[in-house]
Amino acid sequence: MIIRLIALTTLAYLVLPLVVVIGVSLTETKFLAFPPQGLTLSWYAVILENPTYIRSFLTSAGLAALATMAAMLVALPAAIAMTRYTFPGKSALSAVLLSPLVLPHIVIGAALLQFGASIGLVRNFPALLVGHVIIVTPFVLRTLLPLFSHDQLSQEEASRDLGASAWSTFFLVTLPQIKAGLVSGGIFAFITSFINVELSIFNTTSTLNTIPVQLFNYVQYSVDPSIAAVSSLTILAAAIAIILIDWLIGLDFLSGS
Amino acid sequence: MFTSRLTLLWLLALPLCVFTAFFLIPLGVVFVASLTTQDGQFTLSQYGRVLLDGYHWQVIAVTFRLAILSTIICVVLGYPLAWYLVRIVKWRSWRRACVIMLILPLFTSNIVRSFGWMVLLGRTGLVNDALLGVGLIERPIRFLGTETGILIGLVYILLPFTVLTIGNALARVEPSLEHASRDLGAGPLRTFCSITFPLTMHGVMAGGTIVFSMAISAYVTPALLSGGKVTVLAMLAFQQYSTVFDFNYGGALSITLLTFTMALIGISSWMTRIGVHEKKGN
Repeated sequence: MIIRLIALTTLAYLVLPLVVVIGVSLTETKFLAFPPQGLTLSWYAVILENPTYIRSFLTSAGLAALATMAAMLVALPAAIAMTRYTFPGKSALSAVLLSPLVLPHIVIGAALLQFGASIGLVRNFPALLVGHVIIVTPFVLRTLLPLFSHDQLSQEEASRDLGASAWSTFFLVTLPQIKAGLVSGGIFAFITSFINVELSIFNTTSTLNTIPVQLFNYVQYSVDPSIAAVSSLTILAAAIAIILIDWLIGLDFLSGS
Repeated sequence: MFTSRLTLLWLLALPLCVFTAFFLIPLGVVFVASLTTQDGQFTLSQYGRVLLDGYHWQVIAVTFRLAILSTIICVVLGYPLAWYLVRIVKWRSWRRACVIMLILPLFTSNIVRSFGWMVLLGRTGLVNDALLGVGLIERPIRFLGTETGILIGLVYILLPFTVLTIGNALARVEPSLEHASRDLGAGPLRTFCSITFPLTMHGVMAGGTIVFSMAISAYVTPALLSGGKVTVLAMLAFQQYSTVFDFNYGGALSITLLTFTMALIGISSWMTRIGVHEKKGN
């Protein structure tokens, strides 16, 4: 009984701030009010009419999509190499490729800024992109690694024996089996890129900005319900992503015994 | 054999190039910068500035205090919630809904979540209103700009990680072991302490490590909830790159932060390994 109470309180604690943000976005007042006073969607109209928000949203979405695709191109061959071959330095390679998961993003961002400054890779889209590729690649790699099984190897050998080329074997035999993992890893990667501040903040400018960095800059100085409206839209995007993942792989992984 | 080596080389070419060029070399550049003066002479003075100065130790102490407290609270709150989700919830759809509630915050930007707390923790926010209404306090408590406020925000952001890792460990505990313990006359508490908890220890360790390493390097949450009144190590490092433009001193701060994070991960994986050995020994 006590456990149930603690658990439900903790769940409420997890949901409360998101509810508050959505609530605030619906208020009719010009200041942040929760519970909202009156109900209106006018703050959503305000942001949809603001070209800088639209531009940042498009930058964030494009950045996340490109970073995810690039991460797949980097992680897929790495995963194949690490599961199908033995070579010296394999564990070192896997440590390096997975380390952005735990290393401070602010340090990676600072390092890329300092290094990028010497080769002109600063405050432009490619500079943002390379950083995001580094931090999202481990997410794709981590979901791919357990998917390359031993059974597959014999199926691939069978395919090759029957005369299929390496490429058609990959596309017809291997890829279909890892597709779900590739997609769910891709969604994790997309979201990680889409909500990143610590890395993007080094390379954004007033004309090239991502949604989270723009929010971060606004929230520190002035706050009105339009920020809550932008935030609510990102919560909605997150909810859609989770429903997609649930539909793809099922989120019922905590049901053990 | 030759062709397979060649394939391997092709497979590794892109990952190696990308991570060398945009990860290892940049980190190397920071490391070198942290050991040089503005004119490129070798020096340890940047680290001297960081490590021999009272103010920096104060910042490091605040950073560690916040990280340690967040880790403890996340485990203490996360364990019952994980237990509830794995052992108590019987209805599949409700568990699914709970997991979605657990993951939704993870998929939302730190900004949005901290912003929610900025609204909640203000002088006239819901938390103060509720506490005043219940009569627990007489005057509004100041949360924003205090370590308590940052702690509430950090725990909030990191809690799902401990619930997920502990939940995964709990779901894998063999029920027959617990049954055996109960059959041999151990009470529920004894069974939990000597069977279930040790078997989920690796989940606790894994979750705790994630939380600690993320808390120690957190930037956004402390920056937003501190209102500039509390400083943590990541904020100090960021200032050097964004406003002061002292890349050498900033480098030393970054490497310090990196070292703390890696040391912690090293210690925890070492402890987990020792735990595994002990289990084998018994």
